[in-house]
Amino acid sequence: MRLGLVIDLDVCVGCHACAVSCKEWNASGTTGPLTDYQPYGAEPSGVWFNRIRHFEVGTYPNNKTVNFPMSCMHCEDADCVTVCPTGASYKRAEDGIVLVDQDKCMGCNYCSWACPYGARELDRESGTMKKCTLCVDRIYDQAIPEEERQPSCVLTCPAHARMFGDFDDPDSEVSKVVREREGYVLMPELGYNPTNHYLPPRKHKPIPTDIGADKAGLAGKLKQFVNRMVKR
Amino acid sequence: MHPAFSVIFFTVLSGAGFGLFALIYLADLFKLGGGLPGAYVFWTGVLAIVMVGVGLMSSTFHLANPKNAWRAFSRWRTSWLSREGVLSVAFYPFALAYLGLYWLDMWPVVRHFSGAVATLLAWLTIFSTAMIYASLKTIRHWNTPLVPAAYLSLGHFSGGMILLVVAMLAGVQTLPFVLLSLFQLFVAAFVKVIYYYWIGRLGVGSTINTATGFTRAQVKLLDAGHTHGTFLTQEFGYIVPRLTAVSLRLISMFLAFAVPLVLLYAAMEYHAPMLGVAALVSVFAGLVAERWLFFAEARHVVNLYHGAQRC
Amino acid sequence: MNARIPVEDHSKQEIKYSTCYMCACRCGIKVTLQEGKVRYIQGNRNHPTNQGVLCAKGSAGIMKQYSKAKLSQPLIRKPGSERGAGEFEAIEWEQALDILTNRLQEIRATDPSKLAFFTGRDQMQALTGLWAQQFGTPNWAAHGGFCSVNMAAAGLYTIGFSFWEFGAPDWDYAKYFILWGVAEDHSSNPIKIGLEKLKRGGGKFVSVNPVRTGYSAIADEWVPIRPGMDGLLAMSIVHVLLSRELFDYEFLINYTNAPWLVIQNPGHKDDGLFLRDGNGNPQVWDLEKETFVNGADVGITPALFGDFVAQDGRRLKTAFTLMAERYLDERYAPANVAAECGVPAETIERIALEMAHVAFKEAIELPIEWTDVWGRKHDKVIGRPVAMYAMRGISAHSNGFHSCRAIHFIQMLLGALDGPGNFRARAPYPKPIPPHQLPENNLDIINAPNTALSRPPLGFPTRPEDLVIDEHGNPLRIDKAFSWEAPLSSHGLMHMVITNAVNHDPYALDTLILFMANMAWNSSMNTKNIQDMLREKDPEEPGQYKIPFLVVVDAFHSEMVNFADLVLPDTTYLERHDCISLLDRPISEPDAAADAIRYPLVTPDRNVRPWQEVMVELASRLKFPAFTKPDGSRRFKDYPDFIVNYERSPGVGFLSGWRGKDGDKFLKGEPNPNQWQKYIENQSFFAHHWPDNQKYMRFVNRDYLEVAADAGFVGKVEPIIMQFYSEPLQKFRLAGQGLYDGPQPKDPADRERLARYFDPLPLWYEPLEQQRVDAGEYPFFALTQRPMFMYHSWDSQNVWLRQIMAQNFLYMNARKAADMGLKDYDWVWVESHNGRIRCQLKTMEGTQEDTVWTWNAIGKQKGTWGLKEDASEATKGFLLNHLISELLPEKQGERRLTNSDPVSGQAAWFDLRVKIYKAQAGETGSWPQFDRVKKLPSDHYSRPDVLRYDARREHEKD
Repeated sequence: MRLGLVIDLDVCVGCHACAVSCKEWNASGTTGPLTDYQPYGAEPSGVWFNRIRHFEVGTYPNNKTVNFPMSCMHCEDADCVTVCPTGASYKRAEDGIVLVDQDKCMGCNYCSWACPYGARELDRESGTMKKCTLCVDRIYDQAIPEEERQPSCVLTCPAHARMFGDFDDPDSEVSKVVREREGYVLMPELGYNPTNHYLPPRKHKPIPTDIGADKAGLAGKLKQFVNRMVKR
Repeated sequence: MHPAFSVIFFTVLSGAGFGLFALIYLADLFKLGGGLPGAYVFWTGVLAIVMVGVGLMSSTFHLANPKNAWRAFSRWRTSWLSREGVLSVAFYPFALAYLGLYWLDMWPVVRHFSGAVATLLAWLTIFSTAMIYASLKTIRHWNTPLVPAAYLSLGHFSGGMILLVVAMLAGVQTLPFVLLSLFQLFVAAFVKVIYYYWIGRLGVGSTINTATGFTRAQVKLLDAGHTHGTFLTQEFGYIVPRLTAVSLRLISMFLAFAVPLVLLYAAMEYHAPMLGVAALVSVFAGLVAERWLFFAEARHVVNLYHGAQRC
Repeated sequence: MNARIPVEDHSKQEIKYSTCYMCACRCGIKVTLQEGKVRYIQGNRNHPTNQGVLCAKGSAGIMKQYSKAKLSQPLIRKPGSERGAGEFEAIEWEQALDILTNRLQEIRATDPSKLAFFTGRDQMQALTGLWAQQFGTPNWAAHGGFCSVNMAAAGLYTIGFSFWEFGAPDWDYAKYFILWGVAEDHSSNPIKIGLEKLKRGGGKFVSVNPVRTGYSAIADEWVPIRPGMDGLLAMSIVHVLLSRELFDYEFLINYTNAPWLVIQNPGHKDDGLFLRDGNGNPQVWDLEKETFVNGADVGITPALFGDFVAQDGRRLKTAFTLMAERYLDERYAPANVAAECGVPAETIERIALEMAHVAFKEAIELPIEWTDVWGRKHDKVIGRPVAMYAMRGISAHSNGFHSCRAIHFIQMLLGALDGPGNFRARAPYPKPIPPHQLPENNLDIINAPNTALSRPPLGFPTRPEDLVIDEHGNPLRIDKAFSWEAPLSSHGLMHMVITNAVNHDPYALDTLILFMANMAWNSSMNTKNIQDMLREKDPEEPGQYKIPFLVVVDAFHSEMVNFADLVLPDTTYLERHDCISLLDRPISEPDAAADAIRYPLVTPDRNVRPWQEVMVELASRLKFPAFTKPDGSRRFKDYPDFIVNYERSPGVGFLSGWRGKDGDKFLKGEPNPNQWQKYIENQSFFAHHWPDNQKYMRFVNRDYLEVAADAGFVGKVEPIIMQFYSEPLQKFRLAGQGLYDGPQPKDPADRERLARYFDPLPLWYEPLEQQRVDAGEYPFFALTQRPMFMYHSWDSQNVWLRQIMAQNFLYMNARKAADMGLKDYDWVWVESHNGRIRCQLKTMEGTQEDTVWTWNAIGKQKGTWGLKEDASEATKGFLLNHLISELLPEKQGERRLTNSDPVSGQAAWFDLRVKIYKAQAGETGSWPQFDRVKKLPSDHYSRPDVLRYDARREHEKD
């Protein structure tokens, strides 16, 4: 199995629902708490697994605003795991999820240096690196209703811009949608082989406009209107 | 990259320490300058391993959770950071054996063997330290063989300068040591010049376009999704102003290479240990600046998600 | 090698269902509690509103619950201290209630209008309105007057339902969707769910908005319009549709007043009114019978076009002829509006034609049999799958009422209302046009002591006689709603209350109660001056303030709390009972009538009471008739008891589900003592799903209307005919022209406004403030919106959400900024006719070139909202509000007029024009800055620098 996410940039409105839901679930989850710094002070900050960036593509008036959620890509060739000196970072053989064992991490930050996607954030209070777990503590929890055994971000996304599934299964929803909509990965040139894919905005096909005929002049238009017999 | 003082201190100090150890071993082996007196060899060796030790200690200061530091030896098969740890620790028994046997003046074969192995480990450790940086595809400024070349040459150059001072103090023939230092100075300076030239011409790597997948139009960051800093911006967001970088490069080259060059030239004429000490101080000042720049100038690709156009 | 991942220990957890209140959407939430602490809030999959999803605000509800801004005890302004100095003493509830009861008793027994009660984002207007009505004061309204009344009024006077809560796009069938001026996260989850559905199905999404963020980001086409020009754009689209005869004849003739005959008699009292028979029925010309017939009848063949002469010789035209004459004028040709709208003529024409193509060439037919109100059976429902939605960008202009009507004109022309793929009504709408509810305006009743009003304070006037004015034409309401200045202000004018009360215009108040409304900060125009007004003393009554007694009801330490004389601390939404009722702003969806409740999931850890409990308590103490038994004892034990047992009319109460003694009735039935329990068992909501034959065309759908009449949604089963031509507007216009047979305004300013702006057909005019401000000097339009993750939420002090945004910037088009020599993060001065502010600039592509905008309500006053003094919300965040005046710029010889829509009284937030220039070197930080608000005596919270929230353990660390 190769579990991961598909992010649909065609419908992501950039509402941060996934990011906050992630924060909420994981604050009291396996690697929680997720520390917040200066929560009431000058420069509030904290540990998040999922952040939404907003980009503008093109120039006015042909510009498009692209909202861009990012979390761990659960790469096939995860350098963050390779470089980890303690073995705290690991990629699970059974489902490809990349995790950090909080009991082993020494907080050297090296894995975060190796990650091009900014997926790893150090929790200064615990001294350990934290990252998206793909809600590993939800997706296998038999006590949760089956339809809710999904990452919190996917479950909550109001625009259904996030899909979760097995990329090894060619018939899974994620595999199909990536094929059909030409899903792509970020910074392929680095060769990390990320599992998470992004779907580009759709192109809408033109709608015909050859309807009705323009009639010349106000008077002309008014005169040409003929009352149709519509019976009520 | 955020230039963390503990890491700067560590790499400069332990690099010099390893370099010094290798050089003192070789100097002793080849009886450079007629051969240093035994006590000088011994105490210089001690100095080298103390420098290495202090450097390694300081490197743990940047760990957020040092209680797990011992685990860092476990992943030597894949991690250069782990290798550095394993090698540096492996260095100690051999280095101590070498120095111990030197002090006791016994078992010359074992002593030489230990010294040779320790020297090899010193080189490998410097190389591993450099490879921690050079192996990262996320930071193009580091992802080059020039980085291990620089670490090795600078470690030996700075270690060699210490050795020169030792030689001056020991009153042996200094010319070979001066020539060695001059040679190492030119090699190190050459590597750094090439490095600066090279990072100035990195060409196009990852860009905001490849980072987002929008490759056919201008892409600009509108909002990073957080008003204030995050771990990512604090760790990777540091940008050294262009003018500061250029000035610092000149200053570091001046202190690390130009000043010692003059002083070494003078040292060929006059036997004045103070010249050597002055050169040494200048070299270390220059190297701290060099190492600070090494971090500060490196641009991590994650900055593409925080507004950078290319990295 | 892999660590074992423990799944959660559920043994100490409990799951409860309630309704979110982080914004106005009222989504269903599933709350996991861990030994009384909130572990997880997620969307309820079964809930009609959000279908399992939840927005950022909803998930951040945890941080709301554990906010450091929560009030914890009743407070009274320290005797001898000045109002606004923020010096309070904590008191007990009994004392607070005694003080308030005594004061209210006195007012009620003398002059009930001296009490004003205005509410912010409340979701219980049926209760607050009833309370005011029972008290006997006309001075009640919620915040609709500064939010969305243009949309509500335009819709309810035109199509019988409206944008925002009374309708929703049919995402399942729509193929073309235009979103007009909808800021960010409005109608949060439903719109997001819908847009994805629409796009997945291949539908086209067009966004008309000067700013491309939020929903607009994902539009297939972005139309960066110049602010305030939407009406012109809509009328130009109408022009294109009429020019090419692209309209739905059947729909117009069957369901609208397009064929009704309008009297053409300029200078006379009947000019512009409908020709009516002796029974008041509107007349149409029957093409078959060639005679005038009752336009509401069946079996007629009305003429859509034509000039006619009545039997008495008066000239007549069909409403549609008048409309065609107006909009076919070259004034509205795309080429002639392009420059003003900032939209190329080709784009306007193309969008009109694309819509027409989808409406007429891609129509949907659903095999659903239904019967119309005239008894005719239809074997299918036809959908013209063009849907629209509009909100603040239309609403917050002083020409918004007409602009919104113009948008409804497009929908009517295309026959695209309440059918498959259209904008569809949500129960209890549609209602008669306008709804049959008039505001109380009987002077004797209003003035009578200890007497309830006979009708609610708000309603829908149809003629000058319905205004709430005295015999001299003076307003009877403190906000001057339903006066000549804003005749159709169906939601009141909350933004005028403080200014009017301080000016004693039209009269002085004694007590002002504000509930959940931050009128001392981001909910007021002209904030800085409003704060001064609140401090202003009455020179004629030494020691007394212009507003003598100010009661603030809030759950959090807002800027408003600082100005209170009495603070009543409310509970959070997880701590109280609530009901989201079909009687006011329900959670219905087009396919289901629905309502919902909240009930306490978390026990309050402070000395607070739900405001609805306090209202029931006060109502009982004051012996309001509806709250008192004939023997004088209190009728309702508490709020839950009131909700179950109060009946507005027999069988109709606040909650529509599980009615009847046994809980087997819905919509109507006698009270059920177990109703709360039934709701709790059913995940805190009730939904009645309409059968297929009652889902569409409900304005004339007999089966639906029969149920609606029974449930009290409508008075009786009769067709709801949509109104192109608005006769109520014409009656007010006649009054302005001096031709009305009834009350007429005396002030020339009123006459002129009525004559000009009460046009029975939509017209576009330059927004009122802009008519008086030099566009050369103030070249930019300035707008605000709230970010998605804070939209419509009560604050931004939430620990998680403020990490996303703790400072707002002024956004400007990148090219424009470059032309002006401005760049990112420059500090700039922004100046309007009303004042100036300093803020930090950011440039972007997605902003129309003549527009600047910012995120609203990020800026905070130092010391409020539980934040530390150096919070960047206070030091760098800013409000645009200081630049916006609640009054129009002064004009020689004219009394000061409200900066509002002249028809609906909607606050004209977006009519602002500004100039921008770079601040001097060294001028940094936002300006103006305000005094730091003092800590409350009841505030014992620690504010640690590190927070580690975890429902499983203690979470604070200093």
